[in-house]
Amino acid sequence: MLKFSGLSGALVAAAVALASGSAVAKDIVLGASVQLTGPVANTGRYYRDAYQLAVDKINEAGGVKVGNETYQLALKLYDNQSDVNLSVRQYTQLVSRDKVNFLLGPFASNFALADSAVSEKYQIPMVQGGGASDQIFARGFKYIFGTLAPASNYFGSTIEMMKGLDPVPQSVALLYADDAFDVSVAEGTRPKLKAAGFTIAMDERYSTNATDFNSLLSQLKSKNVDAVLVAGHETEILNFVRQAKSLAVAPKMYSFTVGVPSEDFRKALGKDADYAFGMAAWLPSADLKDRWFGDAAQFASAFKAKFSYDPDYHAASGAADVEALVKAIEDAGTIEPAKVRDALAKVKFESLYGQIEFDKNGQIDLPQTVIQVQGDALVAIQGVHGKIAPPKYPMPAWNAR
Amino acid sequence: MDLLGQVLINGALLGGLYAMMALGLALVWGVLNIVNLAHGAFIMLGAYVSLYLFTYAHIDPFLGLPITAVVMFAVGYGVQRGILNLIVRAPMFNTLLITFGLEVVLTYLAQLTFSADFRTINPSYAGDSIVLGPVVLPLARLLAFGVAIALTVGMWLFLLRTRLGRAIRATAQNLVAARLYGVEPRHLYAVTFGIGIALAGAAGGLYGTVSQINPYIGAALTAKSFAISIIGGLDNPLGVIVGGLFLGILESLAALYVGPTYADVASFGVLVLVLIVRPTGLLGKAA
Repeated sequence: MLKFSGLSGALVAAAVALASGSAVAKDIVLGASVQLTGPVANTGRYYRDAYQLAVDKINEAGGVKVGNETYQLALKLYDNQSDVNLSVRQYTQLVSRDKVNFLLGPFASNFALADSAVSEKYQIPMVQGGGASDQIFARGFKYIFGTLAPASNYFGSTIEMMKGLDPVPQSVALLYADDAFDVSVAEGTRPKLKAAGFTIAMDERYSTNATDFNSLLSQLKSKNVDAVLVAGHETEILNFVRQAKSLAVAPKMYSFTVGVPSEDFRKALGKDADYAFGMAAWLPSADLKDRWFGDAAQFASAFKAKFSYDPDYHAASGAADVEALVKAIEDAGTIEPAKVRDALAKVKFESLYGQIEFDKNGQIDLPQTVIQVQGDALVAIQGVHGKIAPPKYPMPAWNAR
Repeated sequence: MDLLGQVLINGALLGGLYAMMALGLALVWGVLNIVNLAHGAFIMLGAYVSLYLFTYAHIDPFLGLPITAVVMFAVGYGVQRGILNLIVRAPMFNTLLITFGLEVVLTYLAQLTFSADFRTINPSYAGDSIVLGPVVLPLARLLAFGVAIALTVGMWLFLLRTRLGRAIRATAQNLVAARLYGVEPRHLYAVTFGIGIALAGAAGGLYGTVSQINPYIGAALTAKSFAISIIGGLDNPLGVIVGGLFLGILESLAALYVGPTYADVASFGVLVLVLIVRPTGLLGKAA
């Protein structure tokens, strides 16, 4: 009896394996290691949720047509606990043990920088929307594609806007954290400031995860700096703004590479977020048409409805990564990694995130729109086609708000 | 000159907050001989308690500190009786392992409960400042500094003058003799750990009003508190104040003169120096 049940158990298991085996054959598995816990889980969730939403939407619309066959997309996600070393191990595992077909990216430049070595080694294309540092694309890698605009140009549109401000800022401070992304931002911003004729009164690098900005703020005040450009992380920028207020340091304007577009940032600062400038390569506009979602506005409302928070450019970039892979697979007519890689290099289509097209290094080039917190609203100030709305400038003293 | 004055004041105020964070760690270390690697996680929990008191019960973060402290005392007492007491006689390595584990558990529980969102405790006066001629005194930091100094001095007097305080010191100095005199170490250890955690919780409440809170702030705060305890010495709460002020001012000056990336280099460099030159701390008795 025992023997019999053991045998039937094995038969059932074999049958299940066969059934699921045939289902696997119809799936294209996309793998990614994302920060679901740890210090940057707050931004990592944009990627998890955007990947899931895009995969579901594409499957709903019938999946991916490869030649005469139709595949469904599947997602294999690992939590890298905001640890770069762990993420490299997980990508290796995704490729070598889980045998996923293609890779999606993690969040943040330092992760993408390390993880892209895995995709290059195993020659599996990775489309990542979380790393903007120019360094990622400066190594001649062939299997990495990025949908975030280059870090070196983050402040480009802001500097354009500054030239038109009244009064024009006389002196500028450039402050940046010491990681791959922010160093790239600073390296790109410095020559742009000089070319625009601004005096750089302060050019300071600080430690990532610094919590105390009192010395820097006191220097800003003592040097009477008009415009402050900060490239850092959301926690640092929260501390920067709070400490600026408590030390009564109010330059004519300040702009931050991260934080300003995210709802969480504005909630944490409350009315102290007012006047802060930032940038976004993406805003949920109905002008951005998309094959699966209709347009960017519909993407944003679908995202909000499903996950109960607003998507920002990270989320749009993540969704665009899935779409870019699907488009390239369809163009290639195969799921062979090398052919899909070649198709990715030539891909060109309209998406909810904007025009998806990679330069020869594999990075997209999207202009940054200057945005500003004005009262309760996030206002687009200046885009690629010039002014959109008047900026609130100069920023008044803290006690005069 | 104004800049230097301002930076020195910034450093001193930062140092007060640092001292407050390290106080509980130094107490637990000195008496129980436990280097509590979860100390920063308890600071983080205290910050969330204060945040919730402020957001939902509208209790001012400074007035709410006693409530935070009582809640955290209960947590600390429970953790010591339930978990740490199991390893109180074990080698130090075990206490490091268990408190490290506690750190991880608390951090991830906090993410599950509070999410990874960044929060701030933001009463209307949080950004106010007092202008004294050329220098600006941030009000919240000044208040936090005052509370820190008051609690540290209070702690010192408590250990020196009260029956319970003497019992704690006696246990730390000679367990056997203390027991002969009727001290019940099981209860006393839990009370001491509870006080340490209550102080951590109060420090968290102060931290939330001047900085930002998320479940992952703990580890860095533990490291900072550890450095201060070493620099100040474990003998005496006043040493912690000295250590905190010293570190706060040093970091601020390093940021000003050498560059902001060197603030941590300066503080941990001094830690190494103190360990080599004066292992009992700046105020510690020579061994």
